[in-house]
Amino acid sequence: MRAPPVSSAEIVVEVQKLEKRFGSFIAVAGISFSVQRGEIFGFLGPNGAGKSTTIRMLCGLLAPSAGSGRVAGFDIVRDAEKIKTRIGYMSQKFSLYDELTVEENIDFYSGIYRLSKAKKIERKEWVLAMAGLRDHRHSLTSELSGGWKQRLALGCAVLHEPPILFLDEPTSGVDPISRRQFWDLIYELSSQGVTVFITTHYMEESEYCDRLGVIYRGELIALGSPRELKARHLQEAVIEIECDRPNEAMELLEHLPEIKEAALFGKGLHAVARGADAAPAVQAIREALAGAGFRAPRIESITPTLEDVFVSLIEARDRADAPQTEVQR
Amino acid sequence: MNLRRLWAIARKEAIHIRRDPRSLGLALGIPMLMLLSFGYALTLDVDQVPFVVWDQSGTPQSRDLVARFRASRYFDFRGAVENYRALEHEIDTRDAYLGLVIPPEFARRLDASRAAPAQAVVDGSDSNTAAIVLGYPQGITTTFNQDVMLAQVRRSTGLAPSPALDLRPRVWFNPDLESRNFIVPGIMAVIMGLIAALLTSLTIAREWERGTMEQLISTPVRPAELVLGKLLPYLGIGMLDMAIAVLMAVFLFHVPLRGSVTFLFAVGGVFMIGTLAQGILISTVARQQLLASQVAMISTFLPAFLLSGFAFAIGNMPVAIQVITYIVPARYFVAMVKGIFLRGVGVATLWPDLLFLVIFALVVAGAAIRFTRKRLG
Amino acid sequence: MWERILTVLRKEFRSVLRDPRMRMVIFGLPVVQTLIFGYAVSLDVRHVRLGVLDRDQTPASRALVARFTGSSYFDAVAYTQDEAVARRLIDASDAAAILQINSGYEACLRGGRTAAVQLIVDGSDSNTARFVVNYASVIAATYNNQLVLDRALRQAGRIVPIGSVDLQSRAWFNADLESRNFYVPGIIANLVMLVSLMLTSMAIVKEKEAGTIEQIMVTPIRPVEFILGKCAPFAVIGFLNVGLVALVGLFWFSIPLRGSFALLLFGTAFFLLSTLGIGLFISTVSQTQQQAMMTTFFFFFPAMLFSGFIFPIANMPRVIQWLSFADPLRYYLVIIRGIFLKGIGLQLLWPQFAALLVIGVIVMTFAVKRFHKTL
Repeated sequence: MRAPPVSSAEIVVEVQKLEKRFGSFIAVAGISFSVQRGEIFGFLGPNGAGKSTTIRMLCGLLAPSAGSGRVAGFDIVRDAEKIKTRIGYMSQKFSLYDELTVEENIDFYSGIYRLSKAKKIERKEWVLAMAGLRDHRHSLTSELSGGWKQRLALGCAVLHEPPILFLDEPTSGVDPISRRQFWDLIYELSSQGVTVFITTHYMEESEYCDRLGVIYRGELIALGSPRELKARHLQEAVIEIECDRPNEAMELLEHLPEIKEAALFGKGLHAVARGADAAPAVQAIREALAGAGFRAPRIESITPTLEDVFVSLIEARDRADAPQTEVQR
Repeated sequence: MNLRRLWAIARKEAIHIRRDPRSLGLALGIPMLMLLSFGYALTLDVDQVPFVVWDQSGTPQSRDLVARFRASRYFDFRGAVENYRALEHEIDTRDAYLGLVIPPEFARRLDASRAAPAQAVVDGSDSNTAAIVLGYPQGITTTFNQDVMLAQVRRSTGLAPSPALDLRPRVWFNPDLESRNFIVPGIMAVIMGLIAALLTSLTIAREWERGTMEQLISTPVRPAELVLGKLLPYLGIGMLDMAIAVLMAVFLFHVPLRGSVTFLFAVGGVFMIGTLAQGILISTVARQQLLASQVAMISTFLPAFLLSGFAFAIGNMPVAIQVITYIVPARYFVAMVKGIFLRGVGVATLWPDLLFLVIFALVVAGAAIRFTRKRLG
Repeated sequence: MWERILTVLRKEFRSVLRDPRMRMVIFGLPVVQTLIFGYAVSLDVRHVRLGVLDRDQTPASRALVARFTGSSYFDAVAYTQDEAVARRLIDASDAAAILQINSGYEACLRGGRTAAVQLIVDGSDSNTARFVVNYASVIAATYNNQLVLDRALRQAGRIVPIGSVDLQSRAWFNADLESRNFYVPGIIANLVMLVSLMLTSMAIVKEKEAGTIEQIMVTPIRPVEFILGKCAPFAVIGFLNVGLVALVGLFWFSIPLRGSFALLLFGTAFFLLSTLGIGLFISTVSQTQQQAMMTTFFFFFPAMLFSGFIFPIANMPRVIQWLSFADPLRYYLVIIRGIFLKGIGLQLLWPQFAALLVIGVIVMTFAVKRFHKTL
């Protein structure tokens, strides 16, 4: 975790009741939030939640069905083209030209952003160094592996040193080491005052953000820093359980009065207790599992992760939306 | 509009073309192939038509008629048949294309100064060739009739009349009626229209499919820069194709080039810009390569081939279709190219056609720019 | 196995036909093309625009002009006595020919001499020019005969009966020499070939580009099943096109269908074997849809030109004629025209069917082998 940015910063992204409908399907259902300069703001949510749609509206690529927004001071509906001069965008597909070399891709985008000749050379060297591609400047982009392509795409998006960066799932399908390196780059950019708006569905990455918006089925169901989210939404204790036949164990545990909910986590389970004290829940679990013949080598309380928060939020939402069909426990 | 951005787009497109040598090779090779095909192999001139004869008269007069057919360069005698069934067979199996049928009373009627019927039977399913071929017997029989008439007048009156009317045809611009001179300039239009369709119709659609278009529209690049930047490298290829075509026409096929070369290329440039812009327009609206390719085929290649006057004279088409040809740019280009090559005319005569091409280019390029949207969906 | 094929087939159908514009193109294009071809294509030359340069302006010259304008072949578009005007007519392509009668024409005729008349023809359209020269010669020769006869009549003082050959032309199978009867059936062949070639090659390469081919190949599906499932929709579309164009031809243009439609479909199946094979082959040698499209064209264009669709094969150089034996379109055209116009059947068409079978099997085998290798 890193130090939060200067708190008296200005608002660079702001949306009010932003909505997008595709026919009868509501992709984004009236969300409102704002992002401060220099923040790393994360948009977390499962696939299909509306993350990409939102980011595209903010970049001026998609017109909203309703609501309003401002990016870098420009209105996203009326001044979309002006926005594009002040932002960098990295789309989900790492849009580089496969048949161009690394250098040619960089040259192309610096031409598009109208960098002066001196600037072109300076920024090109910067990108090549940053991405570690100095020795590969003449390689065809199609030959690069995922991690390098991703860094190159990021480099091309910041050639013109935009104050705001929009990254749509930039680390999808990339190995963990490369992901780590990528985040180092993001931190560096942020320390230089660049605002980074990033969408992701990787839980651990959400921990790296200054603030998070959790989006589910087009709605913003939580907003705040990671710490705030954990504090606000998950006061209950979380218990990690390693056992065999976790599926069946989960069924069993959900019926215990001490347990609010249980979910699969890795090879085992995470159970959320009713209350901040883990001890009675741990006891109840141990007895229930032993009594039913499960082997459970480990049952202990842990610090909740964002994933726990996330799952809990989603499940709460599902419960609220779905009609009650089962008998109350 | 910013030139630097336009140049960045053009340069990227040029690199892309360079890295796909197969397509580039085809872009240059297909026109050459077409020129060679049309110049050497394809002709509508029909010579040496195989024919058979069923001479039921067997008289000196009928043999005279047959001999005239045999002597004609248009016909190639394949033999005599003895009955209807054999005639049918020859034509059904395409061993003979025309059958000359002389009825038994042929000579008798001639001598009796009456009309003597004879029949030329052709395989009409190839109406193309049939129409051409049926013109030849008319010529032969007219001459035959003339001789018969002169002989009979002489016999009857003792006079030897001289011909009254002597029609002398003089063919301008193409005295040998070399069909190559007619086809090769026209094929240039078809080629260039085709190349435009093949090359530019896929370019923007491809970027949409690959995802690079989404990236591009998030930048400040303007639609005009995008369209014109993409157009430039293909214009280069198109003009190269045109140069190859002109060189082949002049040096390989000896088609006379009587007009101004500069004007020819200027006209070609305008035409190319229009057709390339058409391809880009299709590409940007279709957003899918498969669809774009089909639409490009219908709207650029087919009209250029069928409705430009290159192979089928516009004057023969029904009025409704003739009206449609007025909006086919290839029509004007074909007319201009033929005019410049064979008739040596210039802008003074051809300015209306040039004007249309200019307007077409402006309108279509404008549409392409207008429809290139910097929004998704 | 059939189930897997059907799965691929269904997916392909859905993805190709999903876009309504694509549906319009696949089914609308044949109709549009047929209509345009049917109306536009004609090599018959009629209503030739004739300019009249009559410097004589006598009853005799006007009678001569009337002979030309009275025929259905020539339409007089301009009358002038100025040579420069006449020249401009030709230069600007406003007239295809000029009938030039110099002063002294009638006097010449009266004096029993030969009167020379010029016909200036624009040779840049050699097709029309040839017709023009021929028509004009026939008109002139016939008129000449009459003039000579009149002369003889006057000189001899009595009527001289003359015999002449009356040549009747009959075109079998297509009595009116209706061009479209010739071309429209041929369009079926072209459409089927173009659609099956281009769509097949591009659709397969599209999957290559998207990487989904790899995905399919790790499933238990066998390459043959994939190929069949992939090609089948385009075969079906091909058959539908045949039906569509046949309908347009029959009901709009009244083109006769004298043979068996079932045989036509049968022949189409044989033909598709070759074209799908070629499409498949092209997909194995192309990395991008652009390449597939251009390579398709590279095959298709000569195949169309040398097939006898427009230009008679008999007039082509020997080498090309031999090459055209390998062109499946050539045989299919004979089958189509034979069935539509001549009403002939398998007894006469079996060589074409056999040729298509041979070519098809060879091409398909080769293509499938290559497909296996390049996976």
